[in-house]
Amino acid sequence: MGYSPLQRSAEPSQEPARHLRAMIADAQAPVTSKAYHGYVPWMVVGVIVILWWAVSALHVFPSLALPSPGRVARDGYVIATTGYNGYSLLANIGASVTRIAVGFLAAIIVGVPIGFLMASSKIIFNAIDPLLQFLRPIPPLAYIPVMVIWFGVGQLSKFVLIFVCTIPIIIINAMSGAKNVQETRIRVAQVFGADSRQLFRYVILPSALPEIFTGMRVAIGVAWTCLVAAEMIAAQTGLGAMILTAGNELRMGVVFVGIILIGLIGYLMELSIRTVETRMVPWKGKA
Amino acid sequence: MIELHGVSKVFPAPNARSEPVVAVSNVDMAIGDGEFVTVVGPSGCGKTTILNMIAGFEHPSQGDILLDGAPVLKPGPERAVVFQQPSLLPWMTVADNIAFGLTLRDGRRGVDRARLEGTLQTMGLQDFATHYPYQLSGGMQQRAAIARALITDPAILLMDEPFGALDAQTRSDMQRFLLSVWTELQHTVLFVTHDVEEAILLADRVLIMSPRPGRIAANLRIGLSRPRRWDMVMDRDFNEYKRKVLKVLRPQ
Ligand SMILES: Nc1ncnc2c1ncn2[C@@H]1O[C@H](COP(=O)(O)OP(=O)(O)O)[C@@H](O)[C@H]1O
Ligand SMILES: [Mg+2]
Repeated sequence: MGYSPLQRSAEPSQEPARHLRAMIADAQAPVTSKAYHGYVPWMVVGVIVILWWAVSALHVFPSLALPSPGRVARDGYVIATTGYNGYSLLANIGASVTRIAVGFLAAIIVGVPIGFLMASSKIIFNAIDPLLQFLRPIPPLAYIPVMVIWFGVGQLSKFVLIFVCTIPIIIINAMSGAKNVQETRIRVAQVFGADSRQLFRYVILPSALPEIFTGMRVAIGVAWTCLVAAEMIAAQTGLGAMILTAGNELRMGVVFVGIILIGLIGYLMELSIRTVETRMVPWKGKA
Repeated sequence: MIELHGVSKVFPAPNARSEPVVAVSNVDMAIGDGEFVTVVGPSGCGKTTILNMIAGFEHPSQGDILLDGAPVLKPGPERAVVFQQPSLLPWMTVADNIAFGLTLRDGRRGVDRARLEGTLQTMGLQDFATHYPYQLSGGMQQRAAIARALITDPAILLMDEPFGALDAQTRSDMQRFLLSVWTELQHTVLFVTHDVEEAILLADRVLIMSPRPGRIAANLRIGLSRPRRWDMVMDRDFNEYKRKVLKVLRPQ
């Protein structure tokens, strides 16, 4: 091509001037500014623990109701080393995490395709949407008798409960993601003669990913809130069961240990979903 | 050859209180092979609607659109489109975006790498092949969008205010670049713009549209010599054309 004005506006390929090198190195370095604020959450935790300690030391509430941080730490240590109610702490954590993982993953595997089908067909939408909206406001506790009668008191009823509580969120987000694809992006594929499989693979699926991840992040929190309900179904193990047993025995230190562990593990799961999200959807919020 | 015979487009009323919108009314035009035609008109006069109908995204409410004599039914790779809005797919690298048409046609493994490399080079995007669109400037993004449109060798290039969002310098660079590509490939170009100077500087022929309902108010052949240079905008002939266009656009 004879005249090309573009060479000029393209990035300089020669050695950059010295004062630029530092800036370039800076831009190439991994973003560290977030790490500078890494102390903030720890400070918040510190302040809360100090407040907690002060309130319990002043005996504002009876120590039976509000155990001190030290008491909770000691209970935590005991549970971690000798277990509680005949089960080790790891067994309890393992039981809860397994239930959540199975119910949640099943909800994704089943829910995402249903959401896509609902987005693609008015008939399927009309068939499933009323059922979905009907199920959504039902609190997890209300399901328990049904789950027990239908699925027994074993693992299956817990899996199903978490599945039922999380799948509406997954479906709704997958559907909305697949429906809200920018028209221009669909047209780009149409111009090049994309068939419906290609349109789905290259445009609709990636367009829907950010919303699917949002749904997963909301659903993982909901899954944990359902867990205690699930473990009320004659469960021996699990953090929820541990909390219920300890509550009946008025062992508030153990209850607190359970609550804190649920919060921490839930947070870790959220963080891992976020990590996968930034890997798979690096453009989120930027386009 | 693109032909429009008595083409009108009416959009249904968005709600009960408003009227249906007559976006385009009774448009006739014919664009020959290899011709560079620009359509100029005020915002909302139906330029995008006409382009969308030729592209096959929309269908006329009335009249016919023919491509080499056959009615346009749906979009197709012989009519590449450069959109008014940013249209690169944000989940693909610049290289994958540019190769998108090849990928859909030949499969991921069938993409002609040499051709892709060549296109990246021509467009001055070789250093950005593995970048994502959000990491590019507006001008580079639009260059990548043009590259994507050209890589499948379309006979027709439909461009909807492709440089509208760019700064003056980049816009001028892109205009020269587009002309150099067109001089080489000689495809048919239908270029929509609201910028009168751009319309005249690029075109063999300018179609001037009236405000809603959009009609072709005038058809002006541009006799400026080629290759066009940006400083032609100061020539007497150029200003004569400009006066003619503005007279149609803003009759007083
Ligand atoms: N999908 C649509 N539904 C309803 N009205 C539309 C639609 N697309 C365009 N219009 C209307 O048609 C007219 C012409 O629009 P458009 O072709 O986008 O104009 P231009 O590209 O010249 O700015 C405008 O009044 C616009 O509001
Ligand atoms: Mg427009």
